Amino acid sequence: MSEQKITIEYNDKIVRYFLLATVIWGAVGMLVGVLIASQLNFWQMNFSTPWLTFGRLRPLHTNAAIFAFVGNMMFAGVYYSTQRLCRARLASDFLSWVHFWGWQLIIVSAAITLPLGLTRGKEYAELIWPINIAVALIWVVFAVNFFWTLARRREPALYVALWFYIATIVTVAMLYIVNHLSIPTSLLHSYPVFSGVQDGLVQWWYGHNAVAFFLTTPILGIMYYYLPKAAGRPVYSYRLSVVHFWSLVFVYIWAGPHHLLNTALPGWLQNLGMTFSLMLWAPSWGGMLNGLLTLRGAWDKLRTDPVLKFFAAGVTFYGMSTFEGPLLSIKSVNALAHYTDWIIAHVHGGTLGWNGFMAAGMIYWLLPRLWSKPLHSVSLANLHFWIGTVGILLYMGAMWTSGITQGLMLNATTDHGTVLAYPNFLDTLNTIRPLMLMRVVGGGLYLTGWLVLVYNLVRTIRGAQPVNGTIEVVVETPAPETKMSLAGTFLNAPIVFCILAVVFGNMWMLGGNLVSTIGLVGGIMSLIALYALVPSRKSLWNGWYEKLLLNALPFTLLTFVSVAAGGLIQIVPTIIMQKPKNVEDRIQVPYTPLELAGRDLYVREGCYNCHSQMIRTLVPDVLRYGPYSRLGESIYDHPFQWGSKRTGPDLARVGGKYPDVWHIRHMENPRSISVGSNMPNYPWLLSNNLDISTLPSKLKVQRLLGVPYPAQSAQEIFDEVGSQQRTISRDLRLAGAYVAPEKEIIALVAYLQTLGKSVPVQPATH
Amino acid sequence: MAAMTPTPNPPPSEQDQLRPHVFDGDIQEYDKRLPNWWLMTLYGAIIFWVGYWFYYERAHLGLSNAAAVDQQMAIIEAKRLADAPVVDDASLWKMSRNPVFVEAGRATFNSTCASCHTVALTGAIGPNLVDQKWIHGGRPSEVYHTVTTGVLVKGMPSWGPVLGAKKVTEVVAYVLSYHHEGEAVEVQDAWIPILPK
Repeated sequence: MSEQKITIEYNDKIVRYFLLATVIWGAVGMLVGVLIASQLNFWQMNFSTPWLTFGRLRPLHTNAAIFAFVGNMMFAGVYYSTQRLCRARLASDFLSWVHFWGWQLIIVSAAITLPLGLTRGKEYAELIWPINIAVALIWVVFAVNFFWTLARRREPALYVALWFYIATIVTVAMLYIVNHLSIPTSLLHSYPVFSGVQDGLVQWWYGHNAVAFFLTTPILGIMYYYLPKAAGRPVYSYRLSVVHFWSLVFVYIWAGPHHLLNTALPGWLQNLGMTFSLMLWAPSWGGMLNGLLTLRGAWDKLRTDPVLKFFAAGVTFYGMSTFEGPLLSIKSVNALAHYTDWIIAHVHGGTLGWNGFMAAGMIYWLLPRLWSKPLHSVSLANLHFWIGTVGILLYMGAMWTSGITQGLMLNATTDHGTVLAYPNFLDTLNTIRPLMLMRVVGGGLYLTGWLVLVYNLVRTIRGAQPVNGTIEVVVETPAPETKMSLAGTFLNAPIVFCILAVVFGNMWMLGGNLVSTIGLVGGIMSLIALYALVPSRKSLWNGWYEKLLLNALPFTLLTFVSVAAGGLIQIVPTIIMQKPKNVEDRIQVPYTPLELAGRDLYVREGCYNCHSQMIRTLVPDVLRYGPYSRLGESIYDHPFQWGSKRTGPDLARVGGKYPDVWHIRHMENPRSISVGSNMPNYPWLLSNNLDISTLPSKLKVQRLLGVPYPAQSAQEIFDEVGSQQRTISRDLRLAGAYVAPEKEIIALVAYLQTLGKSVPVQPATH
Repeated sequence: MAAMTPTPNPPPSEQDQLRPHVFDGDIQEYDKRLPNWWLMTLYGAIIFWVGYWFYYERAHLGLSNAAAVDQQMAIIEAKRLADAPVVDDASLWKMSRNPVFVEAGRATFNSTCASCHTVALTGAIGPNLVDQKWIHGGRPSEVYHTVTTGVLVKGMPSWGPVLGAKKVTEVVAYVLSYHHEGEAVEVQDAWIPILPK
């Protein structure tokens, strides 16, 4: 056989572009973070200007950090390493550029639309529907480019980093599409197809797994490529890679409901979310162990090499966050921590510590290789490391203390547990103010560290020659016997055992008595069979897995099946069962058209970023806010607005609690009523006229989605709106606080005053 | 002592050997055993899941969230009934002359009530409490009732469940400290809010 050799030049230009985008958007995202952190302490920094208020900028911060910063970092890291792990240039330069410019365009449109208040009102899923479509399309471009490259690889076996990239691409596509299913009411607005508890479940299935498959798995893949490269050490354990990869991608998907513990979410889903979160601890730590133990024998290099410093700290923060996550998922811990700054500490341990430090390590490692020039200053990189570390520790220390302090105060009772110790919410807010200030300092330090990186990068690449990696490869065709068929993918002992475990497990968990018993017996028998077979079949099964690693498509298929299982079992029954006709106890009254318009304003201003609408099944919640929220009380809410953070009090039953004039004055200047409040002023709501022109199409979509609105003509809708507006305005005039009927605030007040006004369900007659 | 004399070249065990394949020129993998303590955390969590699920979802030995909170609230309600203070007019007037009660009431009033009634009690969104006009009754027990259950249609929240009977009593005592027993009580229909221009 004659060996023909060719030289390949990798497409490193696209990596350089994504790298620069990472650095720029990282700085932007962190800067917005420092701004909104300051707004929480100094309300004046909202500038009483719509597009600068916290409720609109906080989504900008989260979207920038996740999709702009970590997104670009992921693409840079994935494109650089995939080409080398495949020994092939990226399949298409055209797709690569479409990917790059498409993604930047999406980020820019997000940065414009979010401050304008154009939002879907779901966390990390705020972008409006035309941008959603663009995201999905660009993600498909990424996927095609990636899998096409895999198909053209000259390296037969898939290295563990590629497993994680495959899981990322497949799962993010699935999550993103399902959680963004919406029906447009106009070019800039849509309603999600799910409502209430279903929307909550889908949202946190997405939200939790955005953390898993956008912020974790791609970064783990990046760790598996760059960390052994930088350390010059072999990866600690291949079999640990196998076990933790599959257990991670399978278990992660189930844990979403831990964001909805003690809420109106059905109890079985809460228990699934909690127990699977605990089972997620070990798979997550598998990744940390493989990272940290790979550094064995290279720890001395940590003293001198900033890249390894960042990687070691980043992986350590990953381990810390993935221990904290299961801890927070325990219902009783969650009762204290949920809605408080503890959760903020937790997510920033992940983003600042894990994502940010892995990004920094990767950038410092890539810079000399992409520009063929040594890093401008190793000392500055070390300085960045130490400033960043101190910043994170201040940030997290402050938020842990703040979260636990406020949680304890909110839950504290006196008089033999019958009365809240701190009935005034503001007392708890003002106690944590110094800690909120410390958070600003910590975040500011972290941003400073990042700016040191920016300076170092500019000095490194200025005048440097961009260089593309090359490799000499032998042209060869893959051996045919390594191909795996569909039957070979699924009909083999390891997969059959996995399928049996999932099927029997679910039968036992969710079936009726008979099905459950069969599941239990079947599960135990499978375990015994597995135990008996392992010693003799181990090498056979290892061989099967090695063969699977030569087959990208079957591997992808199996990954998809393992991530799809959890979502199907949680979401499908909820969509089938949680319908208005099945609701017991209490059910929501559909909003009047004016109240619906007010609700859309509530969503526009991002009120859900600070206010929950979910009174949990916990005594302190019930004492403070009234009877716990029932599942049926948000059944017509597209989108649900249960919230995830209480910077201010819960609003689920605020309707009728205060007079209209209270709300008018409070929205105009919260401090005129609530001394010490940090809520922004909303003066524009009193001067803007309500846009009712889109209401007919909004109601049409609501009707389409199953909200029981009568078929009304546009004129009938406008008449109904006008009559309710005039009633509220007249009452305000009588109360000495006249506001013209057509102002936005009238609609918002109408909405706020209806919150919690549900009706009892008549027991069904049989 | 074995630790004092390190063996220069320990024989390579199976798991110290590198897997044969090398990726991208220099990435290699060991195939070390999974740490036992790590496996224990994995198996432990799985066993916990089985036990927890059995306890709550199969055997229904534990209460559901709603049943648990209903039960706790019933106990709290019972305690509140048992601890309910005497709130007849005579004792409330007496409390309104007791400086300890009045001071405690002032603190609660300023943090909770003053946003609508002002620190001077002269009224803003909510009515004036120092004049002799009363909308929902000016007898001490009537004031107590108004604070406890609220007047939702007029935007007076129900403070009893949030503040508890003791704090409500103190607040009423504080309000009454601006009045004296036997003073005239005029009936007022409604309050027109006083708003700053």
